[in-house]
Amino acid sequence: MKRRQLLVAAIGLAAAPLAMAQSFSGKTVTIIVGYKPGGGYDATARLLARHLTKHLPGNPTVIVQNMPGANSVIAANHVYNVAKPDGLTIGTFNRNLPIAQLTGVSGVKYDITKFAWIGSAANESTILAIRTDLPYKNFEELRKAKEPVVIGSTGPGANTHDFPLLLKDLVGLNFKIVSGYSSSADIMLAVERKEVDGRAGSFTSLLPFIERGLVRPIVRARTSEPGIEKLPVDESFAPNPRAKAIMALRSAPEQVARPYVMPPKTPADIVKVMREAFAKTIDDPELVAEGKKTKMDLEFTPGDQAQKILVEVMHQPKDIVQEFAKYIKFGE
Amino acid sequence: MLEASWEGLLLVLQWKPFAFMLVGIVVGFWVGLLPGIGGATTLALMLPFIYTMQPVEAFAFLLGMHSVVATTGDITSILFGVPGEATTAAIILDGHAMAKRGEAGRALGAALTASLIGALIGAAALALAIPVVRPLVLTFGSPELFMLAIVGLAFIASLSAQGARGMLRGFLAGGLGMMLAMVGQDPQAGVGRFTLDTLYLWQGLDLVPVLVGLFAIPEIIDLAVRGTSIAGDAPVGRISHGALQGMKDVFRHISLTIRCALIGTFVGITPGLGGAVAQWMAYGHATQSARNPEERKGFGAGDVRGVIGPGAACNSKEGGALIPTIAFGVPGSTSMAILLGGFFLLGLVPGPDMLTKHLSLTYSLVWTIVLANIIAVAVCVLLLNRLAGLTSVPGHRLIPVILVLVFIGSFTSNSHYADILVTLLFGAVGYFMVTAGWPRAPLVLGLVLGKIAENYLYISVARYEAAWLSRPVVMVLLAIAVSVVCYPVYQAWRARRRGTRA
Repeated sequence: MKRRQLLVAAIGLAAAPLAMAQSFSGKTVTIIVGYKPGGGYDATARLLARHLTKHLPGNPTVIVQNMPGANSVIAANHVYNVAKPDGLTIGTFNRNLPIAQLTGVSGVKYDITKFAWIGSAANESTILAIRTDLPYKNFEELRKAKEPVVIGSTGPGANTHDFPLLLKDLVGLNFKIVSGYSSSADIMLAVERKEVDGRAGSFTSLLPFIERGLVRPIVRARTSEPGIEKLPVDESFAPNPRAKAIMALRSAPEQVARPYVMPPKTPADIVKVMREAFAKTIDDPELVAEGKKTKMDLEFTPGDQAQKILVEVMHQPKDIVQEFAKYIKFGE
Repeated sequence: MLEASWEGLLLVLQWKPFAFMLVGIVVGFWVGLLPGIGGATTLALMLPFIYTMQPVEAFAFLLGMHSVVATTGDITSILFGVPGEATTAAIILDGHAMAKRGEAGRALGAALTASLIGALIGAAALALAIPVVRPLVLTFGSPELFMLAIVGLAFIASLSAQGARGMLRGFLAGGLGMMLAMVGQDPQAGVGRFTLDTLYLWQGLDLVPVLVGLFAIPEIIDLAVRGTSIAGDAPVGRISHGALQGMKDVFRHISLTIRCALIGTFVGITPGLGGAVAQWMAYGHATQSARNPEERKGFGAGDVRGVIGPGAACNSKEGGALIPTIAFGVPGSTSMAILLGGFFLLGLVPGPDMLTKHLSLTYSLVWTIVLANIIAVAVCVLLLNRLAGLTSVPGHRLIPVILVLVFIGSFTSNSHYADILVTLLFGAVGYFMVTAGWPRAPLVLGLVLGKIAENYLYISVARYEAAWLSRPVVMVLLAIAVSVVCYPVYQAWRARRRGTRA
């Protein structure tokens, strides 16, 4: 008799996550952010957290927990190895974590393709912009530059560095890349005082300075968004297929720019509920209005699609990966 | 301009912004008292509340909170030797020494008065600088920022004990600090340095666990070993009646207060130097005011000028830090980056417009800093003698509470167990340094400035090659750095000459 009760209890426990998929009522969902408060990843997570509760069955409390360190490898390791696959822990981290795995960075203890992917909350379009008072109005003119054009960067691994680096080394643009600025805002100030001639970065972060007439966009990476559709794409200037593959590989994670995942082996029905909730949250008119004000333009890429992009990244031929690792290091 | 300033004041004094500012002050008050919980995190948490507010109300709330944090951070630093904020560590050296002598009230009075005056001067400087702010900030390129870091490092000479041996120890400690600053991935080649193959050290050492370990742990051990209260055998009456005397001290050293406040403002205006630097430069400058070697030895043992200097600088820098944020949309610190998010949220685009179209709003920010500080200091003064009374609580009751605060404080910086290890490790280092007579301040200065110096030197050379050395501001700053290093030597020489004459 007693044993049977135990058995029933055990079955009950095992079934708990399934039952919860219908309702998160009374539970707390934690979004773990791999960065400290103050950056884009954190701001996006907090915006989502505020509105996610409305769209989850049972309206759970949704909180944000910061787990900074090692460019968010620590957070990814935690979600992959420690967190329970019960739908109550969501992780969001550096979009370049696939690159870390691909180039064999030590300390990586996850397989990016095996997370239970909710999806990506935004794309990121990287562009290169240079000061409007320079004589170069477009890519072709920039290409013919006699004097080296000084590009400020924060350091290897950031799009401020890697994007112009490939343009310089693979396309042969006359760039002088100066790295070590503490933030992209810091580079902007260097642009303002004419210490550097331009910088690469996300279109959203450069937009206010483009509108103010300080800089002019010249070239973009693969991912586009309204306002820069007509800019030329870096890959179109690649001199050979190999260079093109490397550029494509660099920009692939930008289609999954705000990754949201749950631990591997999270039950499929929970993943489904969560994907639906994220899709609805990102379309929520209140969130959209808030996002518009804070210049955060969210766009949902469902998990299966995100996973497909990353599987492709992970299955690059070995020689391309080796070549890629010569230019690109994981960072930021 | 005057008109805009007047309008700004009236904006803040409307009842709603004013009420929001009071709420902000209450929040900031507690955040400042608790070690580790930084102003930046709190700002991020409070940001959602401003959605429905008007710009003036929102900034009264956020800035009111932000500008009080540093003020009350001083209190924790002085009373317990635990840095309440990373920006209030320098005040421990003399502030806590005074508390141990039974002069907690006087130290608190001096610190709060100095920080009020500092805030007023910082705000005044901000108000005056608004018309000329763009050229001012743009003068400081990477070469100038590098030289500023060097000037900061030169203050090691003032922060060390006198004599060849003292100097040697000071600069060695500074060198160790600069080495510690190298820990983590380097920004030029992306190579990990001194990371011991751990993920934790990848992004370098966090300032809070290091500071808390270096300063708080030795004090706790000392308190436990002595087995008395913090103030030891000092009469209770003396402990809780010094506040007024502390205030008078500030006015006795008013020119020092003003100079240190200006140092703070200047460091604040310069994006990239960071708030943790201002206090140490001000402290170094305060030690220069010693007239003879005996007086110099008093610093670190409870000289009130060592409280006034960093006290004045820590709040005056807030006004300055607003300048790059407002005028360029370029935040100078994490807190300012979050505040910038607040600007966007309210539909304002920081940049040249803030200095023309929205000038009265800009001035309302200045006024918020002024008013919030006056209110916070007034509240503190009412509580001051009670707070000072804490130093007569027996150590065995106080230590458990302080320990909990210390470890929670350092754990909040990364929520990683290694934060605790770093605290303990630097606790041991700090204890060793205190017992062996090595100065801790140069180590901190090296740690705070190491990365800045490295990066800007690299950028300067990469961008300008050797030509950066001939820029006029660089040369002026170099001269200042040399004179800062030579000043203690000159002081010692003068004292010796006087000695032989007499």
